[in-house]
Amino acid sequence: MMQVDVAVIGSGPAGLTAAIQAHKSGARKVLLLEREEELGGILKQCIHNGFGLEQFKQNYTGPEYAERLIKELEKTGVQCFLNTLVTDLSSDRVITALSPEHGALEITAKSIVLAMGCRERTRSSVGIPGTRPAGIFTAGVVQRFVNIDGYLPGKKIVILGSGDIGLIMARRLTLEGATVIGVYEIMSYPGGLKRNIVQCLNDFDIPLYLSHTVTEIKGKERLEGVVISKVDGNLHPVQGTEELIECDTLLLSVGLIPENELSKKAGIELSPATKGPVTTEIMETSVPGIFACGNVSTVFDLVDYVAQTGTAAGAFAAQYAFGSLSADRQSVDIVAGENVRLLFPQRYGFQDDLVLFIRAAEPVEKPVVIEVTPPGSKVNRVYARPNEMLRVKVPKEKLAEVRQPIRVSIREK
Amino acid sequence: MAAEKKHFVCVVCPVGCEIDVVHDGSKIISMEGNKCEKSEEFARQELIEPMRILTTTVRIQGSRWPVIPVRTDKPVPKRLFPRIMRQLRPIKLQAPVNMLDVVVRDVLHTGANVVATRTMPRE
Repeated sequence: MMQVDVAVIGSGPAGLTAAIQAHKSGARKVLLLEREEELGGILKQCIHNGFGLEQFKQNYTGPEYAERLIKELEKTGVQCFLNTLVTDLSSDRVITALSPEHGALEITAKSIVLAMGCRERTRSSVGIPGTRPAGIFTAGVVQRFVNIDGYLPGKKIVILGSGDIGLIMARRLTLEGATVIGVYEIMSYPGGLKRNIVQCLNDFDIPLYLSHTVTEIKGKERLEGVVISKVDGNLHPVQGTEELIECDTLLLSVGLIPENELSKKAGIELSPATKGPVTTEIMETSVPGIFACGNVSTVFDLVDYVAQTGTAAGAFAAQYAFGSLSADRQSVDIVAGENVRLLFPQRYGFQDDLVLFIRAAEPVEKPVVIEVTPPGSKVNRVYARPNEMLRVKVPKEKLAEVRQPIRVSIREK
Repeated sequence: MAAEKKHFVCVVCPVGCEIDVVHDGSKIISMEGNKCEKSEEFARQELIEPMRILTTTVRIQGSRWPVIPVRTDKPVPKRLFPRIMRQLRPIKLQAPVNMLDVVVRDVLHTGANVVATRTMPRE
């Protein structure tokens, strides 16, 4: 049985940041577990730029951002196990893992940071009827094929869903010589960031169709076409609007879900809204000593936000490992009020400033005020859009006397 | 040229400010909607010649993976993207390559180099 102070599961931006911070905060034995053969997680295939603008004041690509963190990690004494798949996690912080190099492992950790990231929603998650030919991929899989394995998966491409990865891949596939016929989004507003609509679609004259979806798949061996329909206000396809579009490839960019099989095994409480662990502002889950950060908690818009949660998780996981966080800690719930679809974290534990990440339920294209009550903090924004997370900080001092649930609302001004 | 209105979404950072610019074809007369001065520079450049950083991959031999990610080390005219892509297509690097190694110097006389964005060891 191996014993460590802090074990971090996953080496994407969240895990790397958490491991570095745990070491900086004084944890002696930090172990980073990664199932792939290289560190960096999904950053390796995100070859576009726009990473680290806030954190490093640099416009990095994903691989550069990863390499910067990996170099920083190499200066620490953090031990890394690559090709190591964690298969089980218990609530008393025992990790079971498999690796060709180390065999079957049992690791006891004083504290654990979960940083497994998220998964893509698939065709079955959105229930598209029709045949099951080759040529239907999730956008992230195609991103890996093109950017790491060097394959172009098709020539005539339709993209369903306007999530950021789909938008990024629309540009990428166009540059590589494929024709992207259009991006079809079931909602009446885009899923991805506005800058990606501009620089990935508009820059390349790729049309975006809102309130449209794929209602049928055509083709036997290989995809031959998709039927597109308009949808009404209840997202139901409108009869008579069907249009057959010939294509050989369909990309799905229809959302991401935090990957929490291990969290469930450890009996960690999950939030029905975020599908990730319910955590406090120090990223601690409902199981003491197990922390979670990055997209395993909730799907963030920006890597800078992910790193911010990784830093907090690493610092407090180290503190927990020293025993400097008391076992008997109070917390209050943070609940979604008016026009809030989801928020993170969902609990406040009186240890640090509260940095709230909020996703609006409905778009408001006019000035809004974000209310956090108690303590009654109000923050103004010029708009609130579901595709752009709002971030609000409430200082620890303002929250010291709070004893009842904290409600977060977005109201028109 | 008479004053004209133009709408931009600034792509410098994720905020994505929506800017309304009044211009005379080359100079900005007034603008609103931008939250920082970076958008001013962006809009000024966008009027004359839209510039972007190009990110893509080139082939590589002797390494774990068959392609390596690259980018231009400064923004290049957007309209040159197809030509730069054509120029990069036949390239085959040999591992090892270090991050920021120059792959193409002064690509299409833009003054920008195409550089590797990761380290790729020899395998």
